[in-house]
Amino acid sequence: MTTAPTIETERLVLRQPRASDLAAYTAFIMSDRACFVGREHSRFSAWKCFSAEAGHWMLHGYGPWAVTLKGAEETVGQVGVWQPEEFPERELRWLIWDDAEGKGIAYEAALAARDFDYRVHGTRTLVSYISADNARSIRLAERLGAHLDKDAHPLDPNGLVYRHPGPEALS
Amino acid sequence: MTASPSPVIETERLILRRPTPEDQAGSIAFMMSDRSQFVGGPMTRHKAWFAFASELGHWEIHGYGSFAVTVRGDDTCLGLIGPWFPGGWPEHEIGWLIWPEAEGTGFAYEAALATRAWAYRELGWQTAVSYIDPGNTRSIALAERLGAVRDDAAPRGVDAEDLVYRHPAPGEL
Repeated sequence: MTTAPTIETERLVLRQPRASDLAAYTAFIMSDRACFVGREHSRFSAWKCFSAEAGHWMLHGYGPWAVTLKGAEETVGQVGVWQPEEFPERELRWLIWDDAEGKGIAYEAALAARDFDYRVHGTRTLVSYISADNARSIRLAERLGAHLDKDAHPLDPNGLVYRHPGPEALS
Repeated sequence: MTASPSPVIETERLILRRPTPEDQAGSIAFMMSDRSQFVGGPMTRHKAWFAFASELGHWEIHGYGSFAVTVRGDDTCLGLIGPWFPGGWPEHEIGWLIWPEAEGTGFAYEAALATRAWAYRELGWQTAVSYIDPGNTRSIALAERLGAVRDDAAPRGVDAEDLVYRHPAPGEL
């Protein structure tokens, strides 16, 4: 069974999610801002997503990491690549807790996760599904070099699809 | 990376083991069918996938979870039964999902009995409940056969309509 390998960036450690990460994850999912990631607001829904992300690693050999600052135990978000059933494409996704925003953490983690997926899994293309009103996430997608792909199939009618530069474009 | 444990429980007729990705088809089919009406279904394929991935993740996060029910000599998963403690649950639960082809075999009873004993012994649980939809007469009958009794004073589960059945404590068995 596959669990998440640990990867490090300049400031961050991306590691396997664990039980002690659940409280922060749940608080984020249940906050109003989390409507941008299309979740229901209950502790059980948050659990379902959290545990399914761990299950994703076992099902697919890749998935979302828990993101921590180096030297810290507690998480600042979850970032990684996943493709739950009925997602049209493999997605690079980021969730960053409110108090960790504005520090470039999501950018640094997303860059590392994308690079890992291209390098280790040989993925050729990735998208990010983003709500049209999530300006922050759109800015991050653009900073990552992704562009709006109007031909791609969205997750829901009001959703946008940002397509990331492929491995060749980045090399 | 340390892999979390994969215990195996043997009963007279069954091998109960940690679920694997190979068990997903049966689980998803069950959650998409009318048979799941009392456990949050029928679900879309997307939601049914989440439900199964969540079962795998439960093991990864807690180090235990529902066991895949298999008959000796055949590794096919026939249901998911055992200790269950998702976020938002007021108490530890013994849960059971059994696929239609294994209904009426007594496998659910055998598996629930064995996984409850395992949870008391290995996890040190002092009590356990089962949350059951009031319309799920089959499940209520199983809870009663397991010696569980309705506990109307217990905190409600995630679905406030569900009845709470409390299992006999370790010392009562």
